[in-house]
Amino acid sequence: MRDRFIFSPWLALAPALILITILLGASLVYGVAQSLGLISVIGANTVSLDSYRNLVTGTGLAGSEFWGSLAFSLWVSIASTLISSVLALLVAVWLSEQRSGNGDTLALNWNLAFPHLVWSIALLLFLSQSGLLARWAASLGLISTPADFPVLLRDRFGIGIILHYVSKEIPFLALIILAVLRTQSTGYDLVAENLGASHWQRLRYVTLPLVMPALLSGSLLVFAFIFSSYEVPALLGVGYPRMLPVLALRFFNDPDLRSRADGMAISLIITVIVLVVAMISLKKSEQK
Amino acid sequence: MKKIIYLLVTLSLLLVACSAPAQSSTEFDINNWDSVLAAAKGQTVNWYIWGGSDSINAFVDNFYGKALKEKYGITLNRVPLADTVDAVNQVLSEKQAGKDPGAVDMIWINGENFFTLKQANLLYPDWAQKIPNAKLVNWDNPAINLDFGNPVDNLESPWSSAQFQFIYDSARMIAAKLPRSYADLKTWACANPGRFTYIAPGPGGFLGTRFVKGALYELSGGADQWQKFDQATWDNYSPQLWDYLNQLKPCLWRKGETYPKDEAELKNLFANNEVDFSMTNDITGAGTGITAGLLPQTARAFVFNQYMIGDFNYVAIPLNAPNKAAALVLANLLLDPEFQAAQILPENGFGLGYAIDVTRVTESSALSALQTASTKLGDSATPASDLAKSLVGDSAAEYQNLIEQGWAKNVLQGK
Amino acid sequence: MNKFSTYVTRFVLYFILAAPLALFIVYAFSTRWFFPQPFPAEWTTAIFTRTINDPRILSGLRDSLIIALIVSLLSLLLGFPAARALGLRQFRGRQLAWLVLFLPTVVPPLAIGMGLNILFLQIGLAGSLVGVVIAHLIPTLPYVIFTLSGAFARYDENFEFQSLVLGASQTRTFFTVTLPLIAPSLVVAALFSFLISWSQYLLTLLIGSGRIITLPILLFSAASGGNPVTIAAISLIFLAPPVLVIAATARQLSDGEVREQY
Repeated sequence: MRDRFIFSPWLALAPALILITILLGASLVYGVAQSLGLISVIGANTVSLDSYRNLVTGTGLAGSEFWGSLAFSLWVSIASTLISSVLALLVAVWLSEQRSGNGDTLALNWNLAFPHLVWSIALLLFLSQSGLLARWAASLGLISTPADFPVLLRDRFGIGIILHYVSKEIPFLALIILAVLRTQSTGYDLVAENLGASHWQRLRYVTLPLVMPALLSGSLLVFAFIFSSYEVPALLGVGYPRMLPVLALRFFNDPDLRSRADGMAISLIITVIVLVVAMISLKKSEQK
Repeated sequence: MKKIIYLLVTLSLLLVACSAPAQSSTEFDINNWDSVLAAAKGQTVNWYIWGGSDSINAFVDNFYGKALKEKYGITLNRVPLADTVDAVNQVLSEKQAGKDPGAVDMIWINGENFFTLKQANLLYPDWAQKIPNAKLVNWDNPAINLDFGNPVDNLESPWSSAQFQFIYDSARMIAAKLPRSYADLKTWACANPGRFTYIAPGPGGFLGTRFVKGALYELSGGADQWQKFDQATWDNYSPQLWDYLNQLKPCLWRKGETYPKDEAELKNLFANNEVDFSMTNDITGAGTGITAGLLPQTARAFVFNQYMIGDFNYVAIPLNAPNKAAALVLANLLLDPEFQAAQILPENGFGLGYAIDVTRVTESSALSALQTASTKLGDSATPASDLAKSLVGDSAAEYQNLIEQGWAKNVLQGK
Repeated sequence: MNKFSTYVTRFVLYFILAAPLALFIVYAFSTRWFFPQPFPAEWTTAIFTRTINDPRILSGLRDSLIIALIVSLLSLLLGFPAARALGLRQFRGRQLAWLVLFLPTVVPPLAIGMGLNILFLQIGLAGSLVGVVIAHLIPTLPYVIFTLSGAFARYDENFEFQSLVLGASQTRTFFTVTLPLIAPSLVVAALFSFLISWSQYLLTLLIGSGRIITLPILLFSAASGGNPVTIAAISLIFLAPPVLVIAATARQLSDGEVREQY
C-alpha cells in the first residue's frame, strides 16, 4: 500500500537522472575530447596535450593570458564571496532581531527577479563615470568632468564585478541564514542572553556556529557561481585582464577552429577547480 | 461505386496538378531577370548584417524590408551580427557539416571576410555584373573591382561607400585647433591627457583597426605599399607602429588600460564628455548620430590631411544559400537609384555613400534625386573635398589579423 | 533596535529594488541626455515605441516565453516524481542520486554548453528550439527537485491513505489531495524554473548557435556598447514577465512554510 504511487524510487528518479547523466556525461566527454584536439569538424583526430601545455607554460595566444586570468578570477571570486558572506551574516542577524516578518524577506526575494544581466546594466547606467550618480555629483558641483568620478566599473581590479556580485549575493546568502535563524536560533539565543553574554559574544559563540554549515555551503556555491560565470565579467570587466570564462569563450569562438581546443581546455580547468571547491564544501559540511 | 472512384482519382489528380508547379518555381536563370523575379516571389531572404547601429537596422527594415514585401513579395529576415566574421564562421561550419541549403542568403561583407570565403570557394559565382542595376556601377574603377586588393571577380555586388573620419564637438573645440595628422594627434593627446581614446582593434572593432592602419600608413610614409601583402614590409614597420601606440598610451583615457570595444561605446564616451573625439565611417559624418539622439547637436566630422581609409562595401551570396533568387533581387534593389539617394540622407539613418556612378544614371527623376541628396548632407558632415583629398584604400586582407593580434599583444597587454 | 531602524532597513531594501526600475524608465523615455545633466531635458516615446515594435525584440520575447514555459512544465513533470522519491523514501544510493542531480548547480554552464555544442550539432539539435529547451532543463531541474523534495520531506502521506481508504481512485487522490498539499512548493518550483530559463544567456548562445535569439541575447548585445535608451527599453521589456510572475506568486514566496526550504 505504501508504495502505491511509485513502485521503486529509482523508477521515479529515472527520467530526471537519465536526462542529467546523459547530458552532463556527453558534455564532459565531448569537452575533454575537444580540449585534447579531437575536433572532427576539421578532421583533426590525433590526441594532443598541446592546449594544456600551452596554457600551463604560457605560450601562444591563450597561454599568454592564462595565469593572469586565473589570478584575476580567484581574486574577484574570493573577494566577492568573503565580503558578501560577512555582510549577509550581519544583515540576516539584524533582520532576524527585527522580527519584522514577511515584508523584508519579500523584499529580498524580489531581488531574485533581477537577473544578473539586468543588474549589471543598472550598475552601468548608474555608476559609470558619466552615469547617473556622476551626473548628480556634477550638478551638485562635486565634480566637473567624468574623469573626476572614481572608476568603479570596467576597471582593472575588477571592483565593478565585485560590487555587482556582492550586491546580488547578499540577499541570496541572507535568505539562507535567515531560514536557519528563524527555525532554530531563538532558544539558544535566549539562553545565552540569560547567562549574561554580550551581543557580540552571542553572535560569535551561538549564532555563528549555528549558521556556519548553511553559510559555508552557500558561500561555496556562490564562489563556484562567480568563478564560472560569463555575463557579468563580460559586461563589467576590461579587455585585460579577463576572467577565465571570458577568456575561454573568446577562444572557443575564434575563427581558427584549432583555438577551440584552447577554449575548451580553459573551461575544463574552471570546472575542475569548481568541483574541487564543491567537494571540500561537501566534506566540511558532513564533518559538522 | 465506379463513379466514386473516378471522382476520387480526378480530385487527386487535380490536387497534384495544382501543387506541382509550386515546386519548380525556385529554379531561375540569372540571364533572364523575369525568371529570377518569379522564383523569388514568396521567398524569404536571410540577410546577415552587422547589427551594431539601431539606425542602420531601422533603415534596412523600413526601406528595403517594405519595398521587398510590397514590390516583390519577398520577406526580409535581417539577422544582426556582432561582427561579420560570425556569418563567415556560420558558412564555414555549414560546409564542414555538409549542410546545403544553409541558413545564410546574403552577407554584408568586404575585405578579409570576403577573402576568406572567396578562398574557400564558398560564394555563389558569376552574378554581380549580371543583375540589371549592375550597369549603374562603374566596374572599371579599381576601388570597386578590387576589395582590399583582391579581385571581386563577379562574386559580390557593391552596396555603399564609407570613409574613416573623426568627430569633434564644435561647442568644445574650434576647427582650427584640431589635429590633422597622427603626429599632431599624439601631441594633442599628451597635452590633454585622458581626453582621447580609440576603439580596440578586433572583432566588431573594425573602426579601431582602420584607425591603427592609418597610423601605420603615416609612419611608413605611404598607403600604396600596403595594398599587397609583404612580410618584410610588415616586419619593418610594425615595431614603429607599436612604439607610436605605446607612447600614446599613457596620455589616453583610462591611461590606455582599457579601450571602448566598438563605435557605439566610443560615441557614448564622446557624447558624455569623457573624451573629446569619436570616430565614424559615415559619409554623413555626425549627421546620423545627431538624428538618432546619440550625439549632441554641435557634433561635427573632420579628417586628417591624409590617410583616411575609405572603400566600398558589398553584399555576397554564399554557395549554399537557400533563397538565391530573393538574394539577387535584394542585391539589385540596393543599387536602385531611388534607394541609393535615400541611403545618403542623414535623416534616414543609414548615412553611407553611393556605390553607383551618378553619371551612369539616365532616368531624370532618379538623377535629380541623387544629385539633390548629395547636397543635403548638412554641416555635420565632412566637406566632400576634404574627404576626397585624404582618401586612401584599405590594405591587403592579410594585414587585418596581424594588426588585431599584434595590437592585443604589443599594446593592450604590453608594458 | 527600534522602529526607526526597522523603517530604515525596509526603506533601503525596497529602494534597492525600485531604483533599477526607475532608472530604466527614466532612461528609456529620454533622448540626447548626456553628462552632466542630472535629468533628461528631452523626453520621447519614439525610441521605446520603436524598440517594442522591433520584430527582433518581439520574436525574442516570444521565443523566451515559449522556452521558459515549456522548460518550467517539463522540469516539473520530470522533477516531481524524482523529488517525491528523494523526499519521502530512504533507500540505498539516495546520496548518490542527490549528488548526480545536484551536479548541474556546480558544473559551469560554460563547460556544459561548450561540450554539448558539438554533440547537438551532430545530432541536428543545434540551433533548434528543442535543443535549447533540453539544455535549459539542466540548470532548472536541480532547483525544482530541491524545492519539491523539501516539501515532500515534511509531507504526511496519511492524507493520501485516508483518501484511498475512503474509496477515491489514485488519480482523484492525486489531484484533490496531493497537489493541493504541495501547491505552494509547486508554485515556487515553477517560478524558479521560469526565472532560470528566462535569464539564460550562455547556454542559449552556445546551443542556439545564433539561430535561436532570446531576449537576454538581444539585451546583452545591446548592453555591450550601444545606446542607453535602447538598453533601458529592452531591459524593461525583459523585466516585465519575471516581475509579473513574482508579483503573482508573492503570497507563496513569503509563506513561512515555503521559506524554510531554502
